[in-house]
Amino acid sequence: MACHKENDLNINTTYTEQELVTALKERQSAAYSYLYDHYSGALFTIVRQIVQNTELASDVLQEVFVNIWRKIETYDPVKGRLFTWMLNIARNASIDTLRSKSYQNSQKNQELADNVSMGGQASQINIDSIGIKKILVKLKPEHRVLIELAYFKGYTHEEIAEIEDIPLGTVKTRIRNALIQLKEYLQ
Amino acid sequence: MNIQEYILSGIVESYVLGLASTEERAEFENMCAAHAEVRAARDAFERAIEQQAFMEATSPPAHLKSRIFGELDVEADRKKPGKFKNVQRPMKPVRSIWSRYVAAASILLLVVSTGLNFYFFSKYKDYIAKYDELVASQNQTAALNQSLQTKLHDYESAMSLMKDPAMAVVKMPGIATGPNPESSATVYWDTRSKDVYLLVNSLPQPSADKQYQLWALVDGKPIDAGVFEISQGIPLVKMKNIPEAQAFAITLEKKGGSVAPTLDAMYVIGKVAG
Repeated sequence: MACHKENDLNINTTYTEQELVTALKERQSAAYSYLYDHYSGALFTIVRQIVQNTELASDVLQEVFVNIWRKIETYDPVKGRLFTWMLNIARNASIDTLRSKSYQNSQKNQELADNVSMGGQASQINIDSIGIKKILVKLKPEHRVLIELAYFKGYTHEEIAEIEDIPLGTVKTRIRNALIQLKEYLQ
Repeated sequence: MNIQEYILSGIVESYVLGLASTEERAEFENMCAAHAEVRAARDAFERAIEQQAFMEATSPPAHLKSRIFGELDVEADRKKPGKFKNVQRPMKPVRSIWSRYVAAASILLLVVSTGLNFYFFSKYKDYIAKYDELVASQNQTAALNQSLQTKLHDYESAMSLMKDPAMAVVKMPGIATGPNPESSATVYWDTRSKDVYLLVNSLPQPSADKQYQLWALVDGKPIDAGVFEISQGIPLVKMKNIPEAQAFAITLEKKGGSVAPTLDAMYVIGKVAG
């Protein structure tokens, strides 16, 4: 009976965000199971939109959950929601992977293969057509590029200014404006 | 800039999406702490992003969950967060299962080995005790054997003396008027060496202060031939050498013997065959 009850808890219990955070900080495996069941899909989309390779994205998602496990103590509800915190962990892990040497090398090979086969676009279109990226399409091109570089490639404003050859102040203004538009599309 | 302008400046989105600089973040957190409107704006955008992300969720590969939880098990085992290498390669939970088997097997072996040690030690003690018993028994047997050997040797030498044709046999029957008419003894007298051997056929056990004495009668005079004990297992007792005698007799005397025989304590007498 006790066993059934626990199973029921694992499957059916819903946590308030506060309860979930407490359980996560206590390293309760049921809480991590719940976290995975409820959040892995949303986080996986973000990871794939940055990493763009399902297999590699799986490795990154694993790293994301390990990082959540390790860093859960540092999560402060005063500064924002749990999902926002995890989203940033996912984005940072993805961008770190994107910038790793091994990924850079594999990408060069991939680009070569893409040029030969003219393929490789299909999966990108699929993943690019959803989530924040879907909204990006609606942005003005000059805003979209900046959000792409800042959010999905992880470049700093200074780096973007250099890449796009526009003043740093303009980069900041355009990104702000792009984000304001983004919010409007979300609502 | 008033609060409303601040909220609409794009800082909320920038902060939530992780695009704000360190200074902007610090300023925004202060503003949140100070103004409920800023907090509300942040919360609204967070919820919008979250909702969007959930709507667009894509399932990761089915096997990934167990792989991740295997990894988390490993993390939980280490208990010291922050001391890990970068996790690039997925770690499989195979290690823990096998090490558990190995640990279980070695504990089992230790238990079995300890058990066997006790078993063999108690066996060893048993064998030591049995060995001691055998040694004692062997010693007893050897001692018995020794005494039997001695007895056998005595009987053999007695037998060879009695078989000797040069041995004169002097039967000494009980004296009818003596203290014990049932008494009987025999002298074996070597005609060459004149050595005298006495066989006690039947004599009553004397009291502790008395001893039997053998006499040789030479021309009617008694010659001391020595005192003797009646003891089991000694068939022939060698007495004193008697060069000449016509008869032998036994009297009961005081311990150590007498110079002259006590005639009324004479038990047996026998003549040497002419």
